[in-house]
Amino acid sequence: MMEQVPAVITAEKLRKEFGRVVALRGVSFQVPASTFFTIFGRNGAGKSTLLSIISGMAAASSGVIRVFGEDPAARTQRHRLSVISHESFLYDNLTALENLEFYGKLYSVQDLKERTHHVLRQVGLHHRRFDLVRTFSRGMLQRLTIARAILHNPDLFLLDEPFTGLDQHATEMLIGLLETLKAQGKTILLTTHDLHIGLRLSDQYMILERQQVVETGSASGLTEDALREKYFSLISSGEAGQ
Amino acid sequence: MTKKNSSLSFYIMAGLLLVLVPISLYLVFNWVPPIKASNPTEQTAQRIFYYHVASAWNGFFAFFVVFLASIMYLWKKERKWENIAVASAEVGTLFMTIVLITGPIWAKPTWGIWWTWDARLTSSLVLWLIYVAYLFLRRYLPDGTRRANLSAVVGIIGFVDVPLVWYSIRWWETQHPSAVLAGGKKGSLAPEMLFTLLFCVGVFTILYFLLMQRRIEIAKLEDSINKQYKEWETLS
Amino acid sequence: MSVIWAIIRKDFQMEFRTKDSVTAMWIFSLLIFVIFNFTFEVSRLLMLQISPGLLWVAFIFSGMLGLNRSFQVEKENGNLRSLALTPADPGLIYFGKFFSTTLFTLIFEALIFPLFIIFYDIHLSLLTLWIIPIAILGTIGFTSLGTILSAVAIHTKQQQILLSLLLWPMITPIIIWSVKTTGDVLAGDLSTAFQPVIIRMIVFDVIFTTISYLLFEYVVQE
Repeated sequence: MMEQVPAVITAEKLRKEFGRVVALRGVSFQVPASTFFTIFGRNGAGKSTLLSIISGMAAASSGVIRVFGEDPAARTQRHRLSVISHESFLYDNLTALENLEFYGKLYSVQDLKERTHHVLRQVGLHHRRFDLVRTFSRGMLQRLTIARAILHNPDLFLLDEPFTGLDQHATEMLIGLLETLKAQGKTILLTTHDLHIGLRLSDQYMILERQQVVETGSASGLTEDALREKYFSLISSGEAGQ
Repeated sequence: MTKKNSSLSFYIMAGLLLVLVPISLYLVFNWVPPIKASNPTEQTAQRIFYYHVASAWNGFFAFFVVFLASIMYLWKKERKWENIAVASAEVGTLFMTIVLITGPIWAKPTWGIWWTWDARLTSSLVLWLIYVAYLFLRRYLPDGTRRANLSAVVGIIGFVDVPLVWYSIRWWETQHPSAVLAGGKKGSLAPEMLFTLLFCVGVFTILYFLLMQRRIEIAKLEDSINKQYKEWETLS
Repeated sequence: MSVIWAIIRKDFQMEFRTKDSVTAMWIFSLLIFVIFNFTFEVSRLLMLQISPGLLWVAFIFSGMLGLNRSFQVEKENGNLRSLALTPADPGLIYFGKFFSTTLFTLIFEALIFPLFIIFYDIHLSLLTLWIIPIAILGTIGFTSLGTILSAVAIHTKQQQILLSLLLWPMITPIIIWSVKTTGDVLAGDLSTAFQPVIIRMIVFDVIFTTISYLLFEYVVQE
């Protein structure tokens, strides 16, 4: 047998239910290392719950989840993981530098001073490092959000609908940054309902519908039209697809 | 609990109450000798004491159950424990409301005032406020594990606070001698009075369990109906 | 330890950037004294009796403002969630927020107290220094519960009203004890109850900081 590359995320028959709420109904998938993996699905399909479980913020009712081979709820691999959502996670009344220094301490980043400067240069905000975040434009905010996310040099990125509320320009910028991370060999898990952006970046994809996996596949060679057709045939009619 | 068992326990408790509640009324209003008091209104008003204390006892007991069920929930993360905690918080608040209504009804003919910052009444009011806040918190949150977590945390902190509130207010009262009024509540109880009191406490405890059982059944029914609806939605 | 320190430092950096809020809260407590003066038209002797309560009303009100502010910034951009996503122990995050709100409330109280002395003609003596440990113990009782309950309330839309609903009944004991001991100190005559009450305040503080530390993890869970 060939030696397999160990998967960064392994989920087996994940189920999450609580009282009347069923958030996941037996979801299984694997995300190999250095893969851009996109989860498509409508609001309420179970994407956020899945990300919460992977990040260790929520527990599954049954099933097994392993991130870097460990149970994420144990918080042992937190420093290798970064979450990016449509919320910036930044403090408006701190400067860019102060924000990074604060998070750097919480992640116990080594050589924090050099690292913050390096990261700020990387996202092109070094000249604005002493400015308050509340004076930043949407695009600069986006770049600082990324700077915060890459500060502790994580191996895995969890992106929770990061394009929500972004204009065209900021979207392109975020895509550019994600492509850089991808080129660096980072593992990225993206959840989105935007087929166009999702397909553009992905190596692999999965479609969640009604808290179940309805389709998984490789994104290479797949055209957007083909994906669109597949997507709409799998998810229910009418209100879907926004 | 299976369906059969739960309805059986319901019938047993309901049957017991059908017999015991009239007996308790008889004991309270006819059997127990009246207290020595200057006017007949005060004598009659004193009879509220049996239901008042029985409600208070059950209120405390209910809040203790909230505490235990909240700990169990945080440990096991099972819906069952959340349902028990909420049911007990609601029933306990109901009993505390009875305490707060019967207290002034008794105070008016006895002390001539509806409300006095008497230690027992005041503590009951503060406890009532804690559990009303608990129920408000739940109203402000959507159903789910987050709501269950947060209410369990408040259920635990709130109950740890109960003895402190009780104790501190009693102590506070002793610091204000003018607030202490001589009243029928104090002094030793005649044997008939003690028996009637214990009987009422017993009856109210059965009532507590009956209400709990009903409330938990409702929660279970709601869950299963909603779940079936969701399943049906998935299949369609 | 570095987590606690990082949070305190961050909160102070932000607060001193918006110094106007410190001023606003100070003015606010000034207003409390002014309003009380008109709402209670009482003799000087009676005023002396109710003044410890008044002082604590001013303390608690500005403490509530401080708590709301302290958690508003953690809510704005999903920051509480991002704190919970770091490798830091949630209990330490609790202590960070607890210490920063406690320190802030104590600073406000130190600003309010001189006003109080002037308006209510408080006689100062060496005994008045007791007000410092009393303020610290009373404030810790208030903020230990206030911090965890703010983190609870933050998840709802009615954050501020809910925080008051939850917190006020629960802090009854520590308020009773704080007012009583403050009264003793201001009267310049420590009653026999003074020392046991101080011990009770310490017990209250220890109980609720410990419980909150243990339970904070469940408050940030999803």
